[in-house]
Amino acid sequence: MNAVLVAAAIGLVVLGVTHIPPAPTVPRYEAANRATPRSGGTFVYYARDNIRTFDPHFAYDQLSLIGIRLLFDGLLDYDADGHLIPSLAEAMPDISEDGLTFTFRIRHGVRFHDGSELTSEDIRWSMHRLLAPATSSPAVPFYLSIVGADAYASGEATSIRGIRVVDRYAIEFTLKEADQTFLNVMAMHFAYPMKRSVVERYGNRVGIHPVGTGPFRLERWERGVEVRFQRHARHFQHNARVDRIVLIENLDATIAVARFQNGDVDLLTSMSNAHHRFFKSSRAWARNRWEEPDVMVSGLTMNCEMAPFDDVHVRRAVAYALDRRSRSRLANGRTQPAGQPIPPQLAGYDPNIPGLQQLDLVAARREMALAGHPNGLKRPIQVIVGEGDDGRQSVELLQQELTPIGIRVEGRAMSFAQYLEETGRRGRAQAFLSAWSMDFPDPSNFLDPLFHSRSIHDVNSENRSFYVNRDLDQLLDRARAERDAATRVAMYREANAIVARDAPWAFIANRMSLEVAQPYVRNYRPHPVWFADVRNLWLDLPRHRVPFAAIVTRPFARTTR
Amino acid sequence: MRRYLVRRILFGLAVVAIVVTSVFGLVYVAGDPAAAALGARAQPEQITAFRRKHGLDRPLHVQFGAYLGVLPCIRQYPADDPTKPRPGHGCGLLQGDLGRSYLFDEDVSTTIAARLPRTVLLGGLALVFEIAFGLVAGFVAAVRRNRFEDYAVLVSTSLAASLPTFVIGPLALFVLAFRCGFFPVGGYGTSTLDHLRHAILPALVLSIGGAASYARLFRSELVDAYRSEYIRAARARGLGERIVMRHAVRNALGPIAQLIGLSLPGLVAGAIITEKVFAWPGLGVLSVDAVVALDAPTILAVVLLGAVAVQIGNVAADVALAWLDPRVRLGSERR
Repeated sequence: MNAVLVAAAIGLVVLGVTHIPPAPTVPRYEAANRATPRSGGTFVYYARDNIRTFDPHFAYDQLSLIGIRLLFDGLLDYDADGHLIPSLAEAMPDISEDGLTFTFRIRHGVRFHDGSELTSEDIRWSMHRLLAPATSSPAVPFYLSIVGADAYASGEATSIRGIRVVDRYAIEFTLKEADQTFLNVMAMHFAYPMKRSVVERYGNRVGIHPVGTGPFRLERWERGVEVRFQRHARHFQHNARVDRIVLIENLDATIAVARFQNGDVDLLTSMSNAHHRFFKSSRAWARNRWEEPDVMVSGLTMNCEMAPFDDVHVRRAVAYALDRRSRSRLANGRTQPAGQPIPPQLAGYDPNIPGLQQLDLVAARREMALAGHPNGLKRPIQVIVGEGDDGRQSVELLQQELTPIGIRVEGRAMSFAQYLEETGRRGRAQAFLSAWSMDFPDPSNFLDPLFHSRSIHDVNSENRSFYVNRDLDQLLDRARAERDAATRVAMYREANAIVARDAPWAFIANRMSLEVAQPYVRNYRPHPVWFADVRNLWLDLPRHRVPFAAIVTRPFARTTR
Repeated sequence: MRRYLVRRILFGLAVVAIVVTSVFGLVYVAGDPAAAALGARAQPEQITAFRRKHGLDRPLHVQFGAYLGVLPCIRQYPADDPTKPRPGHGCGLLQGDLGRSYLFDEDVSTTIAARLPRTVLLGGLALVFEIAFGLVAGFVAAVRRNRFEDYAVLVSTSLAASLPTFVIGPLALFVLAFRCGFFPVGGYGTSTLDHLRHAILPALVLSIGGAASYARLFRSELVDAYRSEYIRAARARGLGERIVMRHAVRNALGPIAQLIGLSLPGLVAGAIITEKVFAWPGLGVLSVDAVVALDAPTILAVVLLGAVAVQIGNVAADVALAWLDPRVRLGSERR
């Protein structure tokens, strides 16, 4: 009897294990294949973490920005090619001869979600809230070129002199010095207008009760679970098609992939190396897949105020010693080798930059000799990395790459909060791995914060390599004000070469991003500026479930390549 | 019993106070949360403003006093903020205020109030599974001791107890939910029934280790009870096997009740790995997020909740034991 029971149990287990359906290799749902866009449906997307706030004046993270882009509009926006276009403004602003005064005319009849009309006073009040000391917005530095903004932000003035309401639909901004990035910063989410009465009603909690002019309004937010957005029927552009957008919070990348393959999530933007390889090579997903480089750069930041990196030759030696191509291969092609601060998508990038930052061990040893260390450094260098496997792997790679030139590496892993605190303080971090993503598509957004001496602070310094080059500072200041586009690009190209040559960073890579959407998601492609910009997509519904047999016919087959 | 309870409660309060004080000190020395909250682009002025807004620029003892609510509130609010406490009023623990989260920029009590029911649902369901599976398996093993069923229970409970959640959790998720489609692939759902549906698989995974413990404990207690003299005496007096079993089971439930009491804190403490694996947005995930962001008010609130739950669980276990076992009750009364 017992033997029969045991045999039956074992048989059941074997039967179960051998008949587990495989993971689907093709989409589980097909589109209805309509020729014209349709309205309706619910689009489901996810965030890898918790969403902190929908207060556009305070949020400074990618995930909050996904929702803020649905809820709010700015005076300016970017089109699908990354060019500035008017949004709440009815046209691009009038700019005075001297390039210091910008007059924006606002569209008539733009409505907040509460039904009230947007006026220039809303813009003026919002800019004041953004720069008010009580708001403590991290975006203040972007707007300090406005006359009187610094005095207001430091609490010395009660209003910003450089912002003037011309009439109900026109507002004027006056700058203290020419700044070619001003239109870019006015397109940032920080400058999105909020409704004064709503902010006054909710105070500190306005970030969870947002009211904007955007194409979607907040329907429900269960913190840490999901956010539901409902289409704003009175939006001035009438471009939004889906009735509802659901943003699931705190979804691990692996579960997100499983849910995506299950048809429970409509857009996939983060995945493990294995899934990346699968989706990148899958023929079934090819029509709904986009692989594009992110506008970012990563590298090893070296503290130019601390030995041994106060010597440019040691920094150059490190920059020569990194094997960027092998790193790219190790990352399964998810990165491209980088040797300069400006990413390939931006003006000022130089594809023919001299090989200052590429693998050349002979040059690296020569630089070490010039630095007076022909036999290497006596003491190991300390490199700060993030916690987890990636950080550990980065240290191992550096150890492998720098040993041939006599530099020993010790890794110090820490949490992101500790990392920010430690690397931003003067004289604390010798070297660390870092990355920089753009706030707006202009080369100044990479060179100014990372390498201008003005960006050096004793605490939470933006220029974390503490690199100082007065010639570069002057060049960047002139480039920021230069109105001739070609001259400006040439200036940034020169600045780019200076930074590559002085090597405060040993630049490593530009990251590639892969996004995959369900077959029924239409009119979506990754935006060159905004992450997961899902405002204008439509759903080709009703979707049809692919027969189970089609999914499981080849349980042990490899994906198409 | 009453004196004993009062003594236990006072002891519990002292333990909670020590835990909160130590964690406050630890979080204080761990680092500055301003950079994490504001990001790498924040200017020193914003860091200073953030520190001032949350009272982080004050000395440690002032921060702690304000946190407890024995000193005036040190958090800054805009003049017209409706959430601002009235002048002269504290905004600390004694006023029922757990602080304001740096991570979510909202009251911690609001965050906890949203997360706690989810964690209790998951933990509660897991506890139900643990007790149900554990007691049934333990009972079968005891009744059929030294036979096939007993060995099967012993082997399977040993196996279950040695399977870590971080292994069994993802396996269950990908095989039973994703590949077979028996359960939702993680998450929390949208309605009450949906929450329950989403909770089943994580609760089953969470209950595996506990069910094994209950089964083994219940089996050994029941076997001991069967061998005890009062059961032999009952049988000798001709009592039926059903009545004998009822006596044995009641006696064997004492340690089980204690174990349940000790498990209660798990209902609120959060199952970090299970919540993370199944994308269950409870206190476990919250505490990890808070630690990563150095969000002191949230960390302290979660620790406080856990400490209070442990104390309540301990007292509940003692009371339950006294209720189930007259010897304990009488013993304490005689003293």
